[in-house]
Amino acid sequence: MNGGRSVAGEGAAPRASGGRLGWLFDPKLAAVALASVAVVVAGGLVQVSFGAYSMTVGEAWRAALDPAVLLDPRWLLQFVVGEGLMRSITGFQGELPELAHGTLIVWNIRLPRVFVAAIVGMNLGISGAIFQAVTRNELASPFILGVSSGAGLMILLTLVMFGGLAAFLPLIAALGGAVAFLIVYAIAWKNGTSPVRLVLAGVIVGTVFNSLQTGLFFFADDIGVVQSAIQWTTGSLTGTDWEQVRMALPWTAVAVVLSLAGSRQLNLLLLGEQTAKSLGMSIEKVRFALSGVAVLAAAASIAVAGIVSFVGLIVPHMVRNLVGSDYKRVIVGCLFVGPALMVAADVGARLGMGVLTGADAQVPVGIVTGLIGGPYFLYLMRKQQHMGEL
Amino acid sequence: MSTEHVDTTRTDATDGPDGSNAAGGSAADGEPAAADASDLDGEDLVLGYPNAPEPVIDGESIAAEPGAVTALVGPNGSGKSTLLKGLATQLAPADGSVLVDGRDVHAMDTKALARTLGLLSQESSSPNSITVEDLVYHGRYPHRGFFERTTDEDVVAVEEAIELAGCGHLRDREVGSLSGGQKQLAWIAMVLAQDTDVLLLDEPTTFLDLHHQMEVMEIIETLRDESDVTVVVVLHDIEQAARLADRMVALKDGEIRARGAPEEIVTEDLLADVFRVDADVVQTENGPRVTPLRARHEE
Repeated sequence: MNGGRSVAGEGAAPRASGGRLGWLFDPKLAAVALASVAVVVAGGLVQVSFGAYSMTVGEAWRAALDPAVLLDPRWLLQFVVGEGLMRSITGFQGELPELAHGTLIVWNIRLPRVFVAAIVGMNLGISGAIFQAVTRNELASPFILGVSSGAGLMILLTLVMFGGLAAFLPLIAALGGAVAFLIVYAIAWKNGTSPVRLVLAGVIVGTVFNSLQTGLFFFADDIGVVQSAIQWTTGSLTGTDWEQVRMALPWTAVAVVLSLAGSRQLNLLLLGEQTAKSLGMSIEKVRFALSGVAVLAAAASIAVAGIVSFVGLIVPHMVRNLVGSDYKRVIVGCLFVGPALMVAADVGARLGMGVLTGADAQVPVGIVTGLIGGPYFLYLMRKQQHMGEL
Repeated sequence: MSTEHVDTTRTDATDGPDGSNAAGGSAADGEPAAADASDLDGEDLVLGYPNAPEPVIDGESIAAEPGAVTALVGPNGSGKSTLLKGLATQLAPADGSVLVDGRDVHAMDTKALARTLGLLSQESSSPNSITVEDLVYHGRYPHRGFFERTTDEDVVAVEEAIELAGCGHLRDREVGSLSGGQKQLAWIAMVLAQDTDVLLLDEPTTFLDLHHQMEVMEIIETLRDESDVTVVVVLHDIEQAARLADRMVALKDGEIRARGAPEEIVTEDLLADVFRVDADVVQTENGPRVTPLRARHEE
């Protein structure tokens, strides 16, 4: 107790030296990011090489890296923002130069699916990470607050009752998820909320909506409608295109930026409600806003891929095990691990049946993620003493 | 905030105790960024819990002496922690108000309040893998804007807090790997980094071994002697409280039964009345020594 509080000055070095982004250069985080990128690239290569029009890996590489596309901003813009916007940005009115056959297949059909998978993985990863912090529960998923049941119900309603609206299905599904989240919040609210009340309200809404959803299956008179509904409610990337990339990308960008900006609030939430409050956090506002960001991310993924289970649950888990509990790192880690898991799972969904049975059929990717997710949790359960509390 | 000297406000304090609070010494050290010691007043507080029909505290007033240490003592269930939670705005009072320097805390912006009033809860939880340093940095939350990065001021405050709490050697350890006592020091460092004018501590020494109890006591003593932070502390151990505090407030059944300087409060009569024990009280140079003899069973 000598001198007490008069030290300062030179102590300023250790923390400030890293600078604003110093924490990014964490060796573990870098290793996770690199490994994930490697998985995405490998999975992407497999996806672009195999299929009805088969190419060797070398050909696939060349097609994916075809300078006719990569060095031509018009083509890139046409893919990413669409033809109309490309023309107004570049002022180009003529016909785009022809592409080689392989390049066309890779860029038009196979690559966008990989991108969609990566985007969905990112969204589900950050969404799950946020919900796990907000509810302070490791077992929370993006769909814990009713989002999946709301989206599922709307999907069934649209397909079975209002077939004319099928074109707007992605939007309606995302909207249904968001509305269900608001209902959950309203039910949980009583002079404020608490993690437990939110989860319980989520279970209540989920139970009711799932019953309604199952009931609606009886009104489906057409096997095609049922199959389509199952694809949506288990999550599938079949037939995804640049259209889906364009639909999800802006919302993904917003969700990523907001969740990174909110990572300090998330860290504080992990210290418990009481501490967060005594440190001056407006806890209800922050909790609602962060949940909103997480719902936005989940909705963006639902709109393009339906309800993919388990990814949002296990990705934050894996990341936390690898980089620790600091949410800045967790969110960044999820941006890499989510795509890696999703792209890898989609390889299985697209090509697995062909390898196993020789049949030329695809399964919804949600089935594969569930098959990966279950055993991963079993492994965690065996390895860890304490599960559940964050 | 002005930078007047501590002494001016201290003379205002009514029935100040024997001057144990050596304000003169610290002022001479050139106390950094000395702000006026803050008043904390709870007026006619009615405090209860949502599911309980009766309030725990029914219309009590309490004033913490600026720049000094006020200890709340009382038996289990006497309402001392409830009163502290009320003062800390963790519990909204059904009636009455809490004022810091005359401002109603419920009308204040949450971050502004957190820069003025800090609370160390009885039970704090954190992720196991967070380091002590990172935990202490969370104490700077109310001083930072939404997108602000850590400033030199934050670094200085954190270094001071770690130094004062004596947990520099734990800085890079993960909180999950610490003992209960070490954890408590880390949490105290976090609250100190908050750099508030008023500090509320809820049973900071309970469940700690003797060494860490003394560590915590010394931190509070340093705050008392060398800064003008107004401290309100709930303590279980009445001897500890008497030794530490400038003023004591004794509660029983949600009522304040006595308040005043330790030597006025720690008496055989009060121990019989409030704690229901027969005890010998001997005044020593280290404050009163209490030897409990037997529990009282009558009434």
